[in-house]
Amino acid sequence: MTGHTLVTGVIGSDTHIVGNRILSMALEDAGYHVVALGALTPSEDFIKAAIETAADAIMVSSLYGQGELDCKGFRDLCIEAGLQDILLYVGGNLVVGKQDWDGVERRFLDMGFDRAFPPGTRTNDVIESLARDFAARAVDAGMADR
Amino acid sequence: MSYASPLDKELRPLSAQQIPGDLFARLREENLARWPTGAEVDLDEAVEYHLSLPRHKRLPCVMRQAEAEGRCLTQPRGGFGTLELQIELMQILDRDGHADVVPTTTDSYTRNERWEQAEAGINESQKEGRSMLNGFPMVNYGPKRTRQLIEAIDKPAIVLSGTSMPRLTGEVGYAAGYTGYLGSGLAYVTSYTKEMTIEEGIRNYQYLDRLVALYAAKGVELHRRQPGFLTGTNIPPSIAIVTCVIDALLAAGQGVKSYGLEMGQTLHLIQDAAAIRACKELAQDYLARAGFGDVATPIISLHWMGAWPQDDAQCAALVAYGGTLAAIGGAASVTTKSTHEAFGIPTPQANAEGLRMTRMAIYLARQIRLDEHPEFLAEVDLIKREVRPILDATLEIGEGDVAVGTVRACEAGILDIPWSPNRQVKSRIMPARDVDGYLRILDPGDMPFDKQVLEIHTERLRRRAEREGVPLDRELAVSSVYEMSEPLSRLVPDLFTGK
Repeated sequence: MTGHTLVTGVIGSDTHIVGNRILSMALEDAGYHVVALGALTPSEDFIKAAIETAADAIMVSSLYGQGELDCKGFRDLCIEAGLQDILLYVGGNLVVGKQDWDGVERRFLDMGFDRAFPPGTRTNDVIESLARDFAARAVDAGMADR
Repeated sequence: MSYASPLDKELRPLSAQQIPGDLFARLREENLARWPTGAEVDLDEAVEYHLSLPRHKRLPCVMRQAEAEGRCLTQPRGGFGTLELQIELMQILDRDGHADVVPTTTDSYTRNERWEQAEAGINESQKEGRSMLNGFPMVNYGPKRTRQLIEAIDKPAIVLSGTSMPRLTGEVGYAAGYTGYLGSGLAYVTSYTKEMTIEEGIRNYQYLDRLVALYAAKGVELHRRQPGFLTGTNIPPSIAIVTCVIDALLAAGQGVKSYGLEMGQTLHLIQDAAAIRACKELAQDYLARAGFGDVATPIISLHWMGAWPQDDAQCAALVAYGGTLAAIGGAASVTTKSTHEAFGIPTPQANAEGLRMTRMAIYLARQIRLDEHPEFLAEVDLIKREVRPILDATLEIGEGDVAVGTVRACEAGILDIPWSPNRQVKSRIMPARDVDGYLRILDPGDMPFDKQVLEIHTERLRRRAEREGVPLDRELAVSSVYEMSEPLSRLVPDLFTGK
């Protein structure tokens, strides 16, 4: 076990569960404690679950194009709930239509997500990013020597 | 987030019987009062409008004609967030795409009956000058304004609203002049919802099917359609067909006479043709046995519903081949995708191109059929041997009532759906692709398949595992989910790889 807890789910009115379920299974296999909220999960439920389980990261999936509307203000909700430092990932088909990824990524980073992943991202890429981000945070927190 | 009519539950035990007329009138009144545009629904005016439509704008007629002539029609999906964008889209699909049936996909807020949010989405779309919604918010616009869409095209139009809550969208759509509506109780609850019960989903679609019978009583024939593609993720034909037959029986019970059955393509030529044949024969068999021998059940084949490749050229192959699969399989219509599929919602132009690619492939399929091909006949037989025990057990556990049986069968795991988001479904059944590219059942969960039949599935999957040198386990199912989205360098490596 890595000792880290992750909250996963598909945000908003979106039912595309398959990729999120595979990601959740892969994260478990990688040693994370995964709290899988499944499809059709409102923003508030992500945050509630993150507080209840003292999660280290929230992994938001969105496949149906309306992610841009659903994710607006997500970081603010986290801050209001006292989760200012929680790691936030988002991934999937995040906007309506085929748009330039750099622009989409910038928009989601500006919204306060730490990383945004394009369509077709494989689970290994996410697991590697998590390992890097958690390691960097451990360094920042002065825990590197332990 | 899930609507079920309180009145319906209070006054009617769950059953497959037709909803009595007086009760239905009360249910309609309750339903139409839920959003201001409900008041615009005027049944007599709508009937008059439908009767004024020419035959070529009526979907039941068009589907019947296609079947009679052995034609395979084309229909895309498509919906944008404002009336202006939607008119433009439908005209492009009609004229540039030669769509035989023109769609209106509703947005996800509408599908979940979050009309306030849809309203905000319309405003945002207008402000941004691009669609911020993934479909057309039909209820917000209401039947009067939505009718402008019917007027803008010269084809029949169908509502595509991936929802288990169709009551108000259905009223608005049919009143606006749509002659078809896609969706069903079992399929959509198990594929598109998390908390809703199977019973609520069945009741919601019984309402819509009963509405179609009400129009029929006034001389207007309307088309209904079942989304057998389910979660769109490697659904073996037998699972799709089980849901097609159950939802067809439920619809027939309310009085529906034109009921299309959709089957997602497996992308295996023989399995898809066999699935179409088996679906048609099984549906007609079970309908006739229930006393509904007069229900038309045209089969609609759907372009790949799983994950798509990122490469436009690979997508183009899936689109064109999808036309071939539908035409050779003998489908009455094919629902198309485009080269933009991996990235989400296509532009109208890309969508129209998908239609034309498919249409050319249909032309090239001529009248080629697999009817006498031994592997085809064996697969038809195998699918039927998979479907019958599940359907028979479902009818039995319902003591003759298919609505009751469906609820109980899901609880018992007799009915199960792969990759379902719904908590009421066990979702233990796990499909994977076999050594020859057929979709097979890796783990049946609690579904009562015949032992010998399962052995065939296991044997084919074992052969794939052996060939790839991997264990026969869940990873086969997961890799099958991604297979079609893999790059060509992995699917078909160069003949000589250098070293």
